[in-house]
Amino acid sequence: MEARQVAALIEQADRARRARDWQTATSLLKRALAIDPEHAQAHATLALALLGARRLHGAIIETDLALGFGPDSPFCHYAAAAVRLAERKLDDAWKHCLVAMQDDDNDVHARVLGAAIKALQNERDAAHTLLCEALAIDADHVDALSALADLELKTGNLAEAHRYIELALTSDPSDVDAHVVAGYIALARNRVDEAENHARFALEQDAGARDSLQLWTAVKARRNVLIGLWWRFSMFVGLRSERSQIGLLIGSFVVVQLAIILLGAAGYEDAEMVLRKIWLGFCAYTWFAPEIFEWMLRRELTGVVLREDY
Amino acid sequence: MSYEIADEPMPASGFENLVFQPSAPLLGMMWCGAWLAWPWFIVNSIAMGSPSARREIQLCIAGFAGTAVLALVVFGLVDAGIIESKLALQIALLGVVAFKLGIAYAVSTIQARTFHVYTYYGGAVQRAMYVLVVGSYLRDIVLGVSEHPVWRIVLSGGW
Repeated sequence: MEARQVAALIEQADRARRARDWQTATSLLKRALAIDPEHAQAHATLALALLGARRLHGAIIETDLALGFGPDSPFCHYAAAAVRLAERKLDDAWKHCLVAMQDDDNDVHARVLGAAIKALQNERDAAHTLLCEALAIDADHVDALSALADLELKTGNLAEAHRYIELALTSDPSDVDAHVVAGYIALARNRVDEAENHARFALEQDAGARDSLQLWTAVKARRNVLIGLWWRFSMFVGLRSERSQIGLLIGSFVVVQLAIILLGAAGYEDAEMVLRKIWLGFCAYTWFAPEIFEWMLRRELTGVVLREDY
Repeated sequence: MSYEIADEPMPASGFENLVFQPSAPLLGMMWCGAWLAWPWFIVNSIAMGSPSARREIQLCIAGFAGTAVLALVVFGLVDAGIIESKLALQIALLGVVAFKLGIAYAVSTIQARTFHVYTYYGGAVQRAMYVLVVGSYLRDIVLGVSEHPVWRIVLSGGW
């Protein structure tokens, strides 16, 4: 009886997760885990839901629990691969992805995930092969088509990228990821209004999604120097792990302060003063830019019909 | 019976009015000094009911103690005549400040994870401006309590 109840809750939660309703998915899975705290699939599904809600730390813990309770479950390895990918632990992510793929020759999702890992490892041919394999299994798979379009975009094949994204949007006109990729392709083709429409649609579906917000910012960055600068800077820093980010910021601080000290010691007071002012301006800008950006974004989003959980 | 996800904060009742963005104590570190920032980080962590509170408090203590040890080392090296020039002293102090800021960034980053979940569930957040204004007013009073350089190095900011 309890097993059936848990299975039903997981099924409902998985539907909510696929619909990007992270709160519902999370609360259903918490109910399932209250009944059976050692259910590996529930922990793995919860990890994926938390990842969607940008709760990486919780997702890491749930993945570890899932692997502990179901070390041989391909789904647990799939979730682990997705979480490690988000952590940018690419080698580890690939190991889990291989386990997920080996068990099921027809697993399209694992192949799409594998392609994302390979793309980040700069192994684009391997990523391409995996996506072609995925499309051989399911020619209309929207995630595979979107990922292939994204890969072609990054390779500079705009025409191919456009062709694949058209196929993806035909396959599922409401897919958020496909709209995000379509937006970037439109931006690459200098069609800013078209990109804005895709961003708007993506935000309407899932306003908290990082990719949708980044596309929206990228669109705004084309029209506003202030947002453009912040976007480039945050992309540069944000691509790194937390530890690298701290290292980068402290490293920059030490280098600039050292330069200020050395310039002062060498008698270049004017240059020292200029550097001090530049550093102060940079600090003030990076401090206040997210606030300004948030304010501008909220002002822009007044035209977007947002979901309640934004 | 319910299942708790490990990253979920459990705010202590009555402390909700003491939750600030984790970047606020970090700004407090730069603007007002470590005397304000370390306790602020700890209070914020407890008020949010952070599941990583233990680690955050340990880091704050390590930041405070580590700065004190480094300051004593620099002071000792000056006393022993090993650090003689103003340039060498400036570079040595830069190392101390970088250490202090690095730990503060780390605490802020860890606290930000909990803060994200805390706000995700609709937790209230206070404005830090008042604390910073009061802190900047008290800065000179606190730092002026002792003329000893180690006191100033340990409790000053990281700007």
